[in-house]
Amino acid sequence: MGWPEILRFFRGPFLKAALLIFIGGMTYRLIRVLLLGWRRDRAKSAGSKVGGTLKAYLKSLLILPFIPWVKRTFPRNALTYIAGGLFHLSLFVVLIFGVPHMLVWKSLTKVGWPTLPTPVVDWAAAVGIAAMVMLFINRFVQPVLRLISGWPARLNWIFVFLPMVTGYMMTHHMFFRYEVLFSLHMIAVDVLLIWIPFSRISHFLFYFFAKTIHGAQAGKRGVTP
Amino acid sequence: MPDKTIYQQLREDGLSRRDFVKFCGLLSGMIGLEFSAAGKALGAAAGRAPADVVAQALKTKPRLPVIWLELQDCAGCTEAISRSTSPSLSNLVLNRIAIDYQETLMAAAGAQAEEAKRATMAKYRGQYVLVVEGSPTVFQGGAFCTIGGRSNLEILKEAAEGAAAVIATGNCAAFGGLPRAHPNPTGAHAVMDIITDKPVINIPGCPAIPDVTTGVIVHFLVLGTLPKTDGLKRPLAFYGHTIHDHCLRRPFHEAGRFAADFGGRSAREGWCLYKLGCKGPTTYNACSSLKWERGLSFPVQSGHPCLGCSEPKFWDGGGFYQGQSAPLNRPGKVDVGLAVGAGAILGGALAVANRAGKKRGVAKSEAVPPKGKAE
Repeated sequence: MGWPEILRFFRGPFLKAALLIFIGGMTYRLIRVLLLGWRRDRAKSAGSKVGGTLKAYLKSLLILPFIPWVKRTFPRNALTYIAGGLFHLSLFVVLIFGVPHMLVWKSLTKVGWPTLPTPVVDWAAAVGIAAMVMLFINRFVQPVLRLISGWPARLNWIFVFLPMVTGYMMTHHMFFRYEVLFSLHMIAVDVLLIWIPFSRISHFLFYFFAKTIHGAQAGKRGVTP
Repeated sequence: MPDKTIYQQLREDGLSRRDFVKFCGLLSGMIGLEFSAAGKALGAAAGRAPADVVAQALKTKPRLPVIWLELQDCAGCTEAISRSTSPSLSNLVLNRIAIDYQETLMAAAGAQAEEAKRATMAKYRGQYVLVVEGSPTVFQGGAFCTIGGRSNLEILKEAAEGAAAVIATGNCAAFGGLPRAHPNPTGAHAVMDIITDKPVINIPGCPAIPDVTTGVIVHFLVLGTLPKTDGLKRPLAFYGHTIHDHCLRRPFHEAGRFAADFGGRSAREGWCLYKLGCKGPTTYNACSSLKWERGLSFPVQSGHPCLGCSEPKFWDGGGFYQGQSAPLNRPGKVDVGLAVGAGAILGGALAVANRAGKKRGVAKSEAVPPKGKAE
């Protein structure tokens, strides 16, 4: 079996299986969370649920992350704040505005959109990789982080880092032939897709559910989320 | 009387000695002859450079008989070679090396043609080169492709038995090509799957670049061996780099300038065709360096993305006009529905089981009085 065959397998049937496991796994997690039960909210409505949700998103996604001194996490651990933020921003830019990734979305959803110039996406990827390396070192240097980091956390880091680094190497034709790097990238992506629903990386979706519910609850009580 | 050498034939045609030397230099370059181990050994023996090795071969060797079989093909590779962009190479192969049997090009037909093939095979047993165009088919004993009432398998095996080497030209012969595309109704195979006891070299492409086919034939004539190949038995001299490596549009790829549509201004100005489905980054062939029509152009230069026609199973390698990063198999609505259903059922069942377990646990803990009170 040569590399073209390996690439065809991991871009084809295995990727399809990984996507279905991802979809099935996320549904499973969602159902488990929903069936944990809901307490009836008997509080009298003192505001708007929608307003609260919007405020929650505005504050936690669009305003607070860019005003570091408001959040107490910044002075306590600036590196986690900056590297973590840059990593998420980099992932967003590369996965949504990188040409090859946009073509994947287009192929799956039939919807395409304008992309950013390659050098911009390229720098974003490099920053993301550097941030990941710093976060990894930080996890071993900080005593508290070291104490609370188990194998699941380390595996999370590995499974996210591998697609990033193989993708970067592939774009730059580094060390190996293109189809070898493409295959390695696809293997890493497939493994990540299977891993996501059963790990804390599922926060990429559940974060938004949590934010919505907390925002709505706060909004109903007329307090700022 | 022994056959005349190629040099003797060329001189009889009026080629001057000076032109012959130039011709040899040109040939050595075109067949990718360099100071490889074989070239060095021959060169050392003759005390000469690659061009002199070619000259020595043409001066001493008689014509190389070639039998060209067409199986499940479209004759596109034959068409290409008859319009070869390199007159010196094609002239040498078509007129001097002599293709003794070629159904499309030969004047003879029917029983006469078959007789010519049999005579060549008998006379040059163990010496001739067998070129195969089109894929052999194995279903029902090869009944899907017959010539003169005989199955293609029988014809191929018979011709390969007495051949010194086998050249599979075009993607169909090299890897099965279009006939092998899903669902492969005729059971098409690659020649190398059928012929396993002879040296086989693949020159894939759709069609194969004629200069590469002729180059390999001339290489065999000059050195008596097939050129060095990669893992897919393709000559490294021509398949050592990808289309992307030497692409004229490569700088636009690096700069992230991608043409969005065919015939638009960006495509005309040379922007990269990656978004339009170009398979250049994973396709090994010499199109972007040798080009076609005397170096005039090649598909990507003319504004069409590379289809990856020199790679195995390129017909089943995703849409031709779909970006290369796109998945090959997309989950359908039914697949997604089943996955969601399975996840929901599993999650629901576990949640119900957990609740039941929790209730039982609570009931049990209430039934057993705390130790302190019992005493």
